[in-house]
Amino acid sequence: MENPLIETRDLTRRFGEQLAVDSLNLSVPAAGVYGFLGPNGAGKTTAIRMLLGLIRPNAGEVRLFGQPLLAHRNSLMRRVGALVEMPSLYPHLTGRENLEVTRRLLGAPRELIDLALEIVRLTKDANRRVREYSLGMRQRAGLALALLNKPDLLILDEPTNGLDPAGIHEMRDLIRRLPGESGLTVFLSSHLLSEVEQIASHIGIIHEGHLLFQGTLAELQAKQQSELTVGVKQLDQAIECLKRAGWTVQKRAEEMLSVSASSSEDAVRINSLLVDHRLDVFHLALAQVSLEDIFLTLTRERTA
Amino acid sequence: MSLLRALHAEVLKLKRTLAFRVVFVLPLLVAVLQFFIVWRTKKFPAGFDLWHTMGTNSLQVWAVFMMPLLIALETALLNGIEHSDRQWKHIFALPVPRHAVYFSKVVVAQVLILISTAILALLTIVVGIIATHLRPELANVGPIPFGWFAKYTVLVWAASWLIIAIHTWISTRWAGFPIPLGAGIGGTFFALFAASASVGKYYPWLLPMNLFVDGRFKAALVLGIAGGLVATLVGCMEFVRRDVI
Repeated sequence: MENPLIETRDLTRRFGEQLAVDSLNLSVPAAGVYGFLGPNGAGKTTAIRMLLGLIRPNAGEVRLFGQPLLAHRNSLMRRVGALVEMPSLYPHLTGRENLEVTRRLLGAPRELIDLALEIVRLTKDANRRVREYSLGMRQRAGLALALLNKPDLLILDEPTNGLDPAGIHEMRDLIRRLPGESGLTVFLSSHLLSEVEQIASHIGIIHEGHLLFQGTLAELQAKQQSELTVGVKQLDQAIECLKRAGWTVQKRAEEMLSVSASSSEDAVRINSLLVDHRLDVFHLALAQVSLEDIFLTLTRERTA
Repeated sequence: MSLLRALHAEVLKLKRTLAFRVVFVLPLLVAVLQFFIVWRTKKFPAGFDLWHTMGTNSLQVWAVFMMPLLIALETALLNGIEHSDRQWKHIFALPVPRHAVYFSKVVVAQVLILISTAILALLTIVVGIIATHLRPELANVGPIPFGWFAKYTVLVWAASWLIIAIHTWISTRWAGFPIPLGAGIGGTFFALFAASASVGKYYPWLLPMNLFVDGRFKAALVLGIAGGLVATLVGCMEFVRRDVI
């Protein structure tokens, strides 16, 4: 991977006895959407807070745009926009005034406010107080705050959390458009693979503070396999027979087993093998393993 | 430069807030109290020094009671808006040095307290003018000592810097009102006991009041200003290193 935009080296953070992030080595390429996945409590938010300099690591280093964060925080943060969990908005101010507060802090030109409002489609409601906003509008206003300074890198932590299906769809649509329109890189965390796989080009999977997978979506998809469920009366004999023939077999239930297989030809071969050994096959079903299953398998393997 | 930007942002945040309104309300309460004192006084002795007596009364009530509570309230409100929607994480993720954010909070609190103290001085003068019209024996109390009022407004304010520094740190550290206001009420409550003790000379919540106590003027001013600056720096050092969970 050439010149990663975000790079962490053995990033570690403890809270008391608990190891929230353990030797995390992220490498996020420029342009596109990087989906940072993990179940709740996996260490995503802690990792993101270290990427933004909100909390300090116990060990390791964060590099953004090739430079160490600790030494160049302010200059690096000029190129970063962030929305961490729920958006930080002043409810007594209007949407526009909220952007104005951030604009003043950044010393950015005034016209960027209209641009950011336009991108998140909030121009019409810009002069309403934020306390009157729906959750979806608040989230979009939070995104506008993150986009205000025309960042090169946008870090979003669970941006669709708490939104209704329409809000999720709208937010996803917005995020998908961003890299194409402005060439920025989006680093997006989520606990739902289904949400990320539709927009991400790269995936990182974190669980219990460890990075379990990192690569392109295509590489993750290559891990996808079909699974053949077989119903057979003589279960132990069937498992023995299939293992001898080199198949990966797992016992599922009484008289049920599953075999890692990728095609219907495999199913035919497995069935013939069992029947040839005079075993009574009464059920055969070939099913595709979803990315969600891979995600769950990866995280479960780690837990086990 | 970044401090100016942070101050500019702070001003906008005050819009439509209680923090701005109480700046006017609390001095008004003290002025109303002054008015009733004048109203209820049966007879003023000949040669009564209305301006200095009333000015001292007003500023003492302010210094020992209202101002410490106003500081607790103001700093809790100013920093409470950052806790409510967890604004700190947004502010700290911006390319703004944290010390600029902290100093802007202290400066805004100081300016609001100065405005409030100045309003008290003005309202006290207004009450005095009303008194000279209501009571014939006060008709010839002499010219209004504007210089004295201006001087003591600034002195009382400067002596409060240490209280402002302590409360700014407390209210950035803890969200909500219980701890910041509890500290303000506790500080003011113990001031009642510390006032007569020798330790009262150095007690932060008594410093503005000590300006009016013989032998304590200099210590009050030095401790108020220098202590305020040191406490602001110490608070800022912790604030800059703080993890935003």
